[in-house]
Amino acid sequence: MVWLPALVAALPLGSSAVAAFSVRTRCAALAAVAGAAGSLVLAVVVATLAIAGPPIASAGAFVYVDSLGGFFLVTVAVVVLLASLGSSSYLAAEERSGQLSARRVRIYFGAFGLFAASMLAAVETANLGLLFILVEAATLASVVLVPLEGRTEGLEAGWRYVIISSLGITVALVGALFLFYSASALPGGAEAHLAWPFLLAHAHQLAPTALRLGFLLGVVGYGTKVGLAPMHTWLPDAHAEAPAPASAMLSGALLNVGMYAIIRLLAIANRGLGTQYGGRTMLIFGFLSVLVGVVFMIRRRDFKRLFAYSSVEHMGIIAVGLGFGGVLGIYGALLHSLNHSLGKTILFLSGGTVALAYGSRRTDRLGGVVGTMPWTGALLFGAALAILGAPPFGLFISEFTIVRAGLVGDQPWLVALLLALLAVAFLAFTRTVGGMLLGAPRGVHREPYHGAREHLLAVVPSAVALVALLGLGLWIPSWLNSLLTQSVALVR
Amino acid sequence: MQELTLASPGGAILGLDAVLILLSALACLGSKLFDRYLTYYALQSVLLAVAAATAAYLERDAALWVLAGLTLALKGWAIPTAARHWLVQRLDLKRDSGTTAGLSLTLVMGTALCAFAYLAVSPERLAHGLLAASVVPISTAVVLLGALAMVVRRHRVAQLIGWLIMENGVFLGAITLTASFPLIVEVGIFFDLLAGFLIMLAMTTGVAERVSPLPAGRSGQDS
Repeated sequence: MVWLPALVAALPLGSSAVAAFSVRTRCAALAAVAGAAGSLVLAVVVATLAIAGPPIASAGAFVYVDSLGGFFLVTVAVVVLLASLGSSSYLAAEERSGQLSARRVRIYFGAFGLFAASMLAAVETANLGLLFILVEAATLASVVLVPLEGRTEGLEAGWRYVIISSLGITVALVGALFLFYSASALPGGAEAHLAWPFLLAHAHQLAPTALRLGFLLGVVGYGTKVGLAPMHTWLPDAHAEAPAPASAMLSGALLNVGMYAIIRLLAIANRGLGTQYGGRTMLIFGFLSVLVGVVFMIRRRDFKRLFAYSSVEHMGIIAVGLGFGGVLGIYGALLHSLNHSLGKTILFLSGGTVALAYGSRRTDRLGGVVGTMPWTGALLFGAALAILGAPPFGLFISEFTIVRAGLVGDQPWLVALLLALLAVAFLAFTRTVGGMLLGAPRGVHREPYHGAREHLLAVVPSAVALVALLGLGLWIPSWLNSLLTQSVALVR
Repeated sequence: MQELTLASPGGAILGLDAVLILLSALACLGSKLFDRYLTYYALQSVLLAVAAATAAYLERDAALWVLAGLTLALKGWAIPTAARHWLVQRLDLKRDSGTTAGLSLTLVMGTALCAFAYLAVSPERLAHGLLAASVVPISTAVVLLGALAMVVRRHRVAQLIGWLIMENGVFLGAITLTASFPLIVEVGIFFDLLAGFLIMLAMTTGVAERVSPLPAGRSGQDS
């Protein structure tokens, strides 16, 4: 059955090839959407198989999809599909306005496919070496996207992104080396010692100091990708400067891939070192990230940067959930990563439309977007409420679950601190976005999209995601629930 | 590789080699000329290839021979040559003045990091006198020195070389500690390294800008 997960990653790779050789940019866009749609369908099948039976695995865990992998696979595939739909309208508008040459649009879709493929493949492996390779490949592919709009700031942001991420990810490789080393006294070959299932099964026998070091280096390394403070410094620039659908991919998918790697390491640490060590590490990084994210959200004028800092904050919340631990904490953290992905994808896609229409990302130059662009404005408004954790959206449920995990774990002060920070985030975010959406009309607005097709492509993916987010706030389907509960059992 | 002692001939070669690799990292850190950076990096990569070849000979492992050959060809020759041609000569880089710390302070910090690596990374399961016990701190030190170079130097080319040195440190650890990662992983890491190098090369030289010229006034040439 190993070919099935391989196909999930191969489809976007095919769309990359189409982009490289197609003459018309529209073919490239179409291929990206088709590849992403195929991947999503297959990802759901793979996840369903992973729930029902044993993990789909090859020797050495080079391919390994259990329910945890399946959950992240579906999350990433959903974001990739939404972003590919958004890309086809966004890039068409940019090409028409002369902002991007046809060649750059093809480069975009080529890198987009590679980016998607390496992320999908990364959550389908449990071999720590291959995981490093694929996360680095995803980084490199996404680096191409960041400076594509050709601003000097974009090139600067791209450089900072590639250099900080490569540094971080190399640290993660050193971490993998130490884990490998911690298992060296155990039987089994080199392949087994890098394979997560083997390491998890023998977690008690791993050399504790090497395991501790490997875990810490891994958290710091992959934490750089996740945007955990203080390794988050690349994130706001890259998210702000990339074309909007690429920002959605970075925030909605890539951060989760990094989190997936951390969760795998946390599972080993929880079993080998006891839950306290890993939990405390996650709490420190988590609270630091929430704090940094919230502080920098205050008085942010560039709305894409605001969304980026909000991502830092939400990754912090997920880390806090993992740190509180227990069934509730991990369940909440996983659910939150799905919810955040959906919410942030809507924000970046709709925000991109606003940026195209007004030619600016500065909230002090924008106003009354809901009046001039009712659909996009309404979607932004809904997604902003959702991302702030307002009921009845999904993020309310997942944040509530994490808070309950803290109370059950008898850490009321930490819960109070978390709630206080969330309240500040609420104020900072609504102040900025509220003025932009609801205030008096400001700025010159020009319709970026031509024709019904482009309009639909720009609005429908976000609308579907918002409905899904609303649905997740009211009801968690049993399919998703079993995916989550089985994942929790693996990590605890 | 685990049982290899420093007293055995193979162990002695590897141990000496590791020390030289550390010294070349320090030399690179203590230099101020772009051309020297590349020379020391190339030297370090050749030494790394020697380490891989020694391990391959001792272990009779074909995968390690492949690794040694790849290291020599790619890191010892192709990357330094390309960097010298495309970066140092084309951009006419001579002296690196964009550092956040002075040379002596940088070297003091580098030495402190070496000491830290020795104190922090004591391989608990390995007895003294074993090769791996002495090389793991060395490889950690090389990684830290590379990271230091990336942090204190502001010029892109210098940061790029810092990253390459870090990567060499990881490989040194992998070779001496465990003989090797599985071959597919090693080759994958090489591929990433190469792709990363090319992307950084493109971003540094502004090739990315020339791939498709932008309307006048919009193109952002950076330095």
